[in-house]
Amino acid sequence: MFEAHSINAEHKDLIHDIAYDYYGERMATCSSDQFVKVWDEDEHGNWHLTASWKAHSGSVWKVTWAHPEFGQVLATCSFDRTAAVWEEIVGEGSGPEARGSKHWIKRTNLVDSRTSVTDVKFAPKTLGLLLATCSADGFIRIYEAPDIMNLSQWTLQHDINCKLSCSCLTWNPSLSRLHSPMIAVGSDDSNPLLGAKIFIYEYSESSRRWVKAETLSSITDAVYDIAFAPNLGRNFHTLAIATKDVRIVTLKPIQDNMQTGVSHFETNIVAQFDDHYCTVWRVSWNFMGTILASSGDDGCVRLWKDNYINHWKCISVLKGDGTPVQGAETPVLATPPNSSTPAQQTPSTTRTISITTVTAEKPTLTVMCSNKWQPPVIKGRFSKSVWLGNPSEPTPPPLPFIAKK
Amino acid sequence: MSRPKWDVLWCPFHSDRFITWDSDAVLSLYEIGPRDNSIRDNDHIYLQISEHSIAELVSSITINNYAKCIDIYPQPEPDIVASGHANGKIVLNPKYMRTCNVVAWNPVDIHLIMSGLDKNSKEHSVLLWDVQHYPKGSERPIGEAGISETIHSAAWFKHDSRCLAFGANNKQLKVVDFRDSAKVVNVTSTKAVYNLSANPHNNYQLLSHVDNLITVWDTRYFEKPIVTIAPQRQVTKVLWCPTRRNLIGTLHKDSAGLHLFDIQYCGTEDTEPGVLERVVLPPWHSPISFSWHLTDENRLLAISLQGVTDYTVCERITLNWSARSCLMWNYAFKSFKYINSEDSIYKELSDISVLTKRRAILEYGLLTDLAQNGDIAENESLKNLWQWLYLSRSLVEDGTIQSPDNKHPGVRTILKLESQQNLSNGFLKSEVIHRSWADIGSNYTTKIYRSPDREKSLFLCGLRFDKETNTAYDNAYLEKLEREGAYAKAAAFAVFNLCLRQAIDILNRGASKKQATILNMVAMALSGFSEERTTLWRESCQKSRSQLSDPYLRATFGFLTSDNDSYESVLNENGMTVEDRIAFALIFLSDNKLHEYLKRLTQKLIEEGNLAGFLLTGASMESIQLLNKYLEITSDVQSCTLIAVRAFTPKLLQENQVQVWITNYRHLLNAWKLWFQRARFDIAMKSTIPQERPPQQIHVSCNFCGKSISAFMQGLSRTRVPFRLGTTPNKLKMTACPNCRKPLPRCAICLMHMGTVSGLQTAPSPGGSRSEECDIKVTEFNSWFTWCLTCKHGGHSEHISQWFRQHTECPVTSCNCRCSSLDYTRNATVT
Repeated sequence: MFEAHSINAEHKDLIHDIAYDYYGERMATCSSDQFVKVWDEDEHGNWHLTASWKAHSGSVWKVTWAHPEFGQVLATCSFDRTAAVWEEIVGEGSGPEARGSKHWIKRTNLVDSRTSVTDVKFAPKTLGLLLATCSADGFIRIYEAPDIMNLSQWTLQHDINCKLSCSCLTWNPSLSRLHSPMIAVGSDDSNPLLGAKIFIYEYSESSRRWVKAETLSSITDAVYDIAFAPNLGRNFHTLAIATKDVRIVTLKPIQDNMQTGVSHFETNIVAQFDDHYCTVWRVSWNFMGTILASSGDDGCVRLWKDNYINHWKCISVLKGDGTPVQGAETPVLATPPNSSTPAQQTPSTTRTISITTVTAEKPTLTVMCSNKWQPPVIKGRFSKSVWLGNPSEPTPPPLPFIAKK
Repeated sequence: MSRPKWDVLWCPFHSDRFITWDSDAVLSLYEIGPRDNSIRDNDHIYLQISEHSIAELVSSITINNYAKCIDIYPQPEPDIVASGHANGKIVLNPKYMRTCNVVAWNPVDIHLIMSGLDKNSKEHSVLLWDVQHYPKGSERPIGEAGISETIHSAAWFKHDSRCLAFGANNKQLKVVDFRDSAKVVNVTSTKAVYNLSANPHNNYQLLSHVDNLITVWDTRYFEKPIVTIAPQRQVTKVLWCPTRRNLIGTLHKDSAGLHLFDIQYCGTEDTEPGVLERVVLPPWHSPISFSWHLTDENRLLAISLQGVTDYTVCERITLNWSARSCLMWNYAFKSFKYINSEDSIYKELSDISVLTKRRAILEYGLLTDLAQNGDIAENESLKNLWQWLYLSRSLVEDGTIQSPDNKHPGVRTILKLESQQNLSNGFLKSEVIHRSWADIGSNYTTKIYRSPDREKSLFLCGLRFDKETNTAYDNAYLEKLEREGAYAKAAAFAVFNLCLRQAIDILNRGASKKQATILNMVAMALSGFSEERTTLWRESCQKSRSQLSDPYLRATFGFLTSDNDSYESVLNENGMTVEDRIAFALIFLSDNKLHEYLKRLTQKLIEEGNLAGFLLTGASMESIQLLNKYLEITSDVQSCTLIAVRAFTPKLLQENQVQVWITNYRHLLNAWKLWFQRARFDIAMKSTIPQERPPQQIHVSCNFCGKSISAFMQGLSRTRVPFRLGTTPNKLKMTACPNCRKPLPRCAICLMHMGTVSGLQTAPSPGGSRSEECDIKVTEFNSWFTWCLTCKHGGHSEHISQWFRQHTECPVTSCNCRCSSLDYTRNATVT
């Protein structure tokens, strides 16, 4: 049976982020143990820990690489209310052993936030050396290093108040000159009454400031992660959202409002999956933006792919420990919730079909089945029962399985 | 506040045993085992606690209905139940007619147990008992504390075995030290007195709650809580997680979720720790109580009215996907797991980026022979497109089709259908020929259309119109199809040639070769062809046509039974390839109908992103739309870019959309470090615009006057002075700036001026091929100047590279620059 490759993590607490460099040959990880670690891949495809240092005085939430054109540069953000920029430099010592020895030094500490800094991302290279941070106090801050040779000087160029605690941000990676710089930010505020949790900001060249271009009003639950797909020259943007379910939204610029300088978008939720059962933590796109990976509270990594125009479906499920989930080979086609065909109205999951097969195989479970409770189908690290009935009905309890005679 | 009786507790020393306590005051000890489907001894009572495990009842005991609390004796003993029972006994100590709210074994001095009682005036409520040295008959506790107080909860400190913390009277938390005659050593006033517990990872921290408040205390700063959490609902149970630091699990009233609070400390002591809340929804229903497993990470048991659930909380998984198609995620904090493009499971994903990279390495799209590029693509429609590009280019180049600017004109371009006004100008003016069905001896005729443009278009469809016989499909082509086993297709084309007899022969041959009776049946049906509009044959053919599985057979009957020369059933037969349908339309459709049909078909193919539509659009603005749609569906930016670069005119290449593709494709190649492929791609891109030479990118300027030296060098070469840098002995030695006559920089090693040959000439290598290779080069790289971008020192590249083989620092005295280490790409290749 297939099992994923494994690397000993050597972190002492929860790992919050994994970041690859531009080429995918280096990897940085960060953790609640306040350390950042850098890993390098050798020519045989094995990963080696090459640097590890205490980067902050609180949990390190995110780590991200700058484009290699700017050197070997990392940015981190932490619960300690700061973000930091790190550069790898060659060691000072003389002699043959010290030759080529490298270490990371802190170039700057960005201390503008009064609360935990929850995400940090470098802008696409074409915009220069720009860094966006977002924090729990609801501010997006955009810093710029005017002199790319001097990484210790960063100026705060913009601060944007989202008014809701921010948890994640993503730059639109589009390389087209027709698309102005764009940031999407998500909030982990759990109160649905406060409205939309995803805001999209665009840089307006004429007014020289960031303006709110779009609010995704359909998403009112806490958002934990957000990721723009690589654009590759499509004329719409694709945004993956980790909230209580996995959602994929497309944003198509509408051409009409050229005078105001603010773009408008036609937004469509093209896929929505609640297979992770409860909370979805992270989403990540493959290099060309065709497959989405998501992780969630079911302890699984799920992969989603667009089969044809906006027909997303689950193509693989991997358990957190690296083994594939059995029975994931026959997933159901997912349909966009706004699909007009009535047969495809239900937000699909992989469950419905698998359950009927389970029932058919195991007649001994009829007691439970008649009670609408199913033995768990998703074989994650823990068990999960699946409720098949109308969600509005009161949920019957799982029966204790007492076979006393 | 009365505690619910339902509770569940893990045995401290048996990792697979636990005790439940239900409303009937029955204490039951269960042992967890794997769930197997084998026939079970029905005498056993068991609970299903998770998907693949059950808990088997080991023993149970009914304790007194008045029992209010339990605790398990913290020692591995064979008879755990006895200890549970022992608890009961102490609680039920008859001497005290008060409710006992809490019992707790001392975790270190295991013979000690405390009990906390309800309030009684002038009497102690905290009593310490010694079960080992229980004085017979006296039944006196060995320690007492808390006069006239109600004890709500209590917890022993692990590190300080005689210290006990307890919550009293709904308003105080107290710490007593039994070594010092039960003196209260620490006290704070708070309403949060319930479920007091000590942090297993921190000696000073206590946790307690009341209604809508969870508090964490540090006994060193006992005045106020270090952390307060105010959940929205009433808290029913709070517990420290024993396997992870600073994690609290709580249950709330009327909430099915388990709330986890992760306490985040900042390095500096003066800042208040933050709390991260996380809610998990395990498959249980309104749990009453739960218990963390002492050693298994994040595992817990929860009890509700319906049963017991065994559950393990998953740690958050973060994940990322690299440019080299490696998907990495963390498994708790122990390890990272990853899959990459080599793995079988990854191959099943059919990730386009893996395919794109493989094609790029094989120089897809850059091969001189256009058709060969299609073979690399491993995709039928791309292969067809590349072959068509080859075909159209060769047709244009050998002059069959006149198209001066565009090497790849589409059918619509050739028929001049692209602009509307042509229609009124009588754009086609085709000649109509009435051709009879000669080979069946019928004089029934079918109209076919001819014009030079139609014939050229047929060439683009891969067909040649025979002027003698007025047929488009020659016999050699039909025989080739037959050899390939495409009998239905060959027969259809024979019918389109109006050679019914030939078609029947083909089908019969096919039937005998392939043992396919269906072909025989079709041949039989064909032979009954009659030209009359109202015959039974025609009627039944139209009905059963849709039953045929082969699209070409369907088209054959569609052609034979169509009315009024409309041929809708052939033209809309999607199973036929696009070029076959267009070829058919070119032969049989009148000018107006052809125009309409091609327009509609183009629209449809563009909407579908079907690459076969390239035949209609050619290299034009419409084809950009087509490729863009194809890109949106497949994300294959590589094919779009390369088709554009190879087929588009320079003007089309300047279109914004095309430039975006090119930028994106170069970005992909960069991230894969496919430098050679990118360079070749750039060359291919520039070569489409022969006039425009890329601007000079590097200039060498004088240190003193700042004027370009290279400009002067170019001038020299233009005046045909043999200017060669360090190759021939009679070269022009340019050691000074031609403008200001100041000397050029010196090599840091040999101290010769730039422009002189480096003294060390490498000995000619024994292999002849090598030296020939060197001769071809205009200048030897070794004699070139190179310099460090940081300290600006440099010299002949041969000298410099030799120097850095042994040194890290700059060769210039007093310069400490580590030039070679700063060169990241060099380091990457060396290590």
